[in-house]
Amino acid sequence: MADLLEIENLESGYGRIRILHGVSIATTGNRNVGLFGPNGHGKTTLLRTISGLIRAWSGTIRFDGTDITRMAPRHIVELGLIHVPQGNRLFPDLTIRETLRLGAWPSRARADEAANADRVVAIFPKLRERWNQQVRTLSGGERQMVSIGVALMSHPRLLVLDEPTLGLAPRLKDELCAAIKRISDEGVPLVVVEQDVEFLLDLADHLYLVNHGEIATEIRPGEMMNHQAIMEMYFGKQVGPLT
Amino acid sequence: MSFLRELGLMAAGLVVLAVLPAVIHDVYLRHLLIMVYVYGVVASSWDLSLGYGGIFNFGHLALFGVGLYAYGMLTKLLGLDPWLALLASGAAAALAAAIMAGPILRLKGIYIVLVSFAFSQLVLQLIISESDYTGGNSGLVRIPALAIPGHNMVRDAKLGYYYIALGLLGASTLCLRLFVRAPIGRSAIALRDNEEYAVSRGISLARQRLITLCMSAVFTGMAGGFYGGYFRNASTDVFGIGLTTLLLSMVLLGGRATIYGALLASFLLTFLAEAIADLGAWRPIIIGVLIILVMLVYPGGLHAALQAGVQRVGTLGRRRTRPLL
Amino acid sequence: MTVLVQILLSALFMGSLYAMMAVGLALVWTTIGVFNFCHGVFMTLGAYVAWQFVSPDAFGLPMAVSLPLSMLVVAAFGFLLQAAVVRPFIGRGDVVLVAVITTLAASSALENGTQLVWGPRPLGLPALIEGNVDFHGIGISLHQVAIIVITPIILGAVWLFLNRMRLGLALRAVAQNEDACHLVGINVTALYALAFGLAAALAALAGVFFGGFKFMSPQMGTEPLSKALVVVIFGGVANISGPIMAAYIIALFEAISTYVIGFYWTPALLFAVLIAVLMVKPEGLFSGRTRGLA
Repeated sequence: MADLLEIENLESGYGRIRILHGVSIATTGNRNVGLFGPNGHGKTTLLRTISGLIRAWSGTIRFDGTDITRMAPRHIVELGLIHVPQGNRLFPDLTIRETLRLGAWPSRARADEAANADRVVAIFPKLRERWNQQVRTLSGGERQMVSIGVALMSHPRLLVLDEPTLGLAPRLKDELCAAIKRISDEGVPLVVVEQDVEFLLDLADHLYLVNHGEIATEIRPGEMMNHQAIMEMYFGKQVGPLT
Repeated sequence: MSFLRELGLMAAGLVVLAVLPAVIHDVYLRHLLIMVYVYGVVASSWDLSLGYGGIFNFGHLALFGVGLYAYGMLTKLLGLDPWLALLASGAAAALAAAIMAGPILRLKGIYIVLVSFAFSQLVLQLIISESDYTGGNSGLVRIPALAIPGHNMVRDAKLGYYYIALGLLGASTLCLRLFVRAPIGRSAIALRDNEEYAVSRGISLARQRLITLCMSAVFTGMAGGFYGGYFRNASTDVFGIGLTTLLLSMVLLGGRATIYGALLASFLLTFLAEAIADLGAWRPIIIGVLIILVMLVYPGGLHAALQAGVQRVGTLGRRRTRPLL
Repeated sequence: MTVLVQILLSALFMGSLYAMMAVGLALVWTTIGVFNFCHGVFMTLGAYVAWQFVSPDAFGLPMAVSLPLSMLVVAAFGFLLQAAVVRPFIGRGDVVLVAVITTLAASSALENGTQLVWGPRPLGLPALIEGNVDFHGIGISLHQVAIIVITPIILGAVWLFLNRMRLGLALRAVAQNEDACHLVGINVTALYALAFGLAAALAALAGVFFGGFKFMSPQMGTEPLSKALVVVIFGGVANISGPIMAAYIIALFEAISTYVIGFYWTPALLFAVLIAVLMVKPEGLFSGRTRGLA
């Protein structure tokens, strides 16, 4: 099976500041991929470059064989690569119902709008209670649910999540993690950025450590992982062998 | 740049301008320069409230109008000495600014635009309706002129007016720059940049806005008074969209929050406007299109463009360093 | 009784006018998020372009054709204009201010352009429907009746569009979070153009309304713009229905005030009340909260 997402030597940044220094990542077929690493080291920039919000400086991004490096965000969405950004403000004045309706904007998502809406409610039952409430009245956790819900409405072929559980209370976090796991089990491939490495390990067996805008380490499916070494990497101690 | 250095440059600039009439004898050119100075005062004062204070004040021209009519009415109807009237016109404008500031004190962004605009329309209405005092739509005529004792203001090829205008410009620029560099000016900038933080650090939003607006009004009003004493008539044209566009352009083209930028733009735009004055209806079209073009190319205004140019000249001959990352 | 009918009719008519004038302004503000000083001149253009189509000195088409044609032409013009004076500045922190100056400049240029093309002499448009009718002793022209009837229909359509149709939702979304729009596949640039064009078409309609009972002049848009501003302030911009309701309320207020204290002082009183309202409720009468900008 072809790799769903292939990134080669990607470089990008903001203004004159380079953030990504030649990042190369590839999914293995349709399997989930996890990205972790310290804050401010380029994970969000990477995702924003993939979805087209930031223009890549050099390198290539291929989605299911198609070169999307220079594509406009809306065309990437039409192909089915859906990005859920970090701490999504969404549309504060729209209701959940209206927001999800907008989620079905891509033409390929229109036919399955009703089915997808049911799916979203099945995964996040709490949203039904607040269906006609404006998004800005929702709590952080509920907003995250809407955020992921919107992405599901767009009928994703690949779902890219940027720190979905960031800032959430532990119980909400567990709820969200369960929901994400369920989405993955239902067949949507994921690329997830997370601080919570435990969660990542539960979701994916293919991980990348992003450090200083580069891939510091790759853990391929089937490789043994040294948990201690990962923690040390995270907290800055000397990098030891991973296996 | 240290303040002393800035003062020195300002003084040098004033000296140059003061000496200009020695080489420029043409009455028309002198008139143009007088207009440059008057508009410069108004535009740079607008830069204070708009650029430094971040207050989208669209009633600024109304303050000019208040000064103009104050001068006209005080001298013509009450027979007040023109120089006193000039000072009074500044005070009148400051008072008007204080009144206008009332509703604006706690509003946000676009609402300030709308309210200040409404305020200026209100002032216009008042002037039109009180035509017994203000001449209504026909305006005031035969306003007493400013006079320098012992000097013939009529036969001197506008030399007297030139120096009065220049003096006004000098005083205005000095005061504005002092304001901007003083803590009071810094507070205004702080409020503009991050209102919540500034307020949490103890800066009073209402008080600051009031002071900034009044400060922007003082010299604007005096410029209005001078305008009345110079042209010797007052009309409601000054409240029109044309003058607002022209002066706002000076502020934005010059570069916001510079004071000097507005002066530079005043120079350029006044001469430009005059150069194409004969073109009738084409003139506002050309000005309008030019403004749009400049904003497209230099959204930061001329001042920013100039600074960038100066920087580039400064690095000529030096090897360009690569960016850090 | 006659007085009451007079006041009510006046309120309905002026309210419809004001609402039609304000809705385009509010549309641009609630979607693109800028204040469009060209709005007045779009009204002017609407009237003049319609004149060009309908006048026997020009194309001589019937009003029923000229009106929609004029709206289309002005809408197209709005499309193009926003590409030059608004779109390049979206995303800048000071977009509101820059858009003010560019739209102001554009309106000044367009006003004078209108004068160049059609000349300074006053022109007039035929009424939408010719004739007068008697209502409880008050004479009212069919043109005014037409306006009173057409306006709520159009406004209702606009409301439905913005609140029930996906495209309308997208328009509202674009002002709230542009990035999120990109990520849902919305063509943000096209939507900005749509909003502007739609607002221009509504302004053109208002212009044609005016042209039917007042003499047209190149400056005819300035006062309505001023009025539309007041309506939008009163009504708030959180929602399109705010300015619509405010338009009728203000018209009613004016009708009553004109009767009580006269025509001369009413504008000043209106402004004074406006300022008072804003001191108490800065976000407008009908808004829940301020629109988060600046």
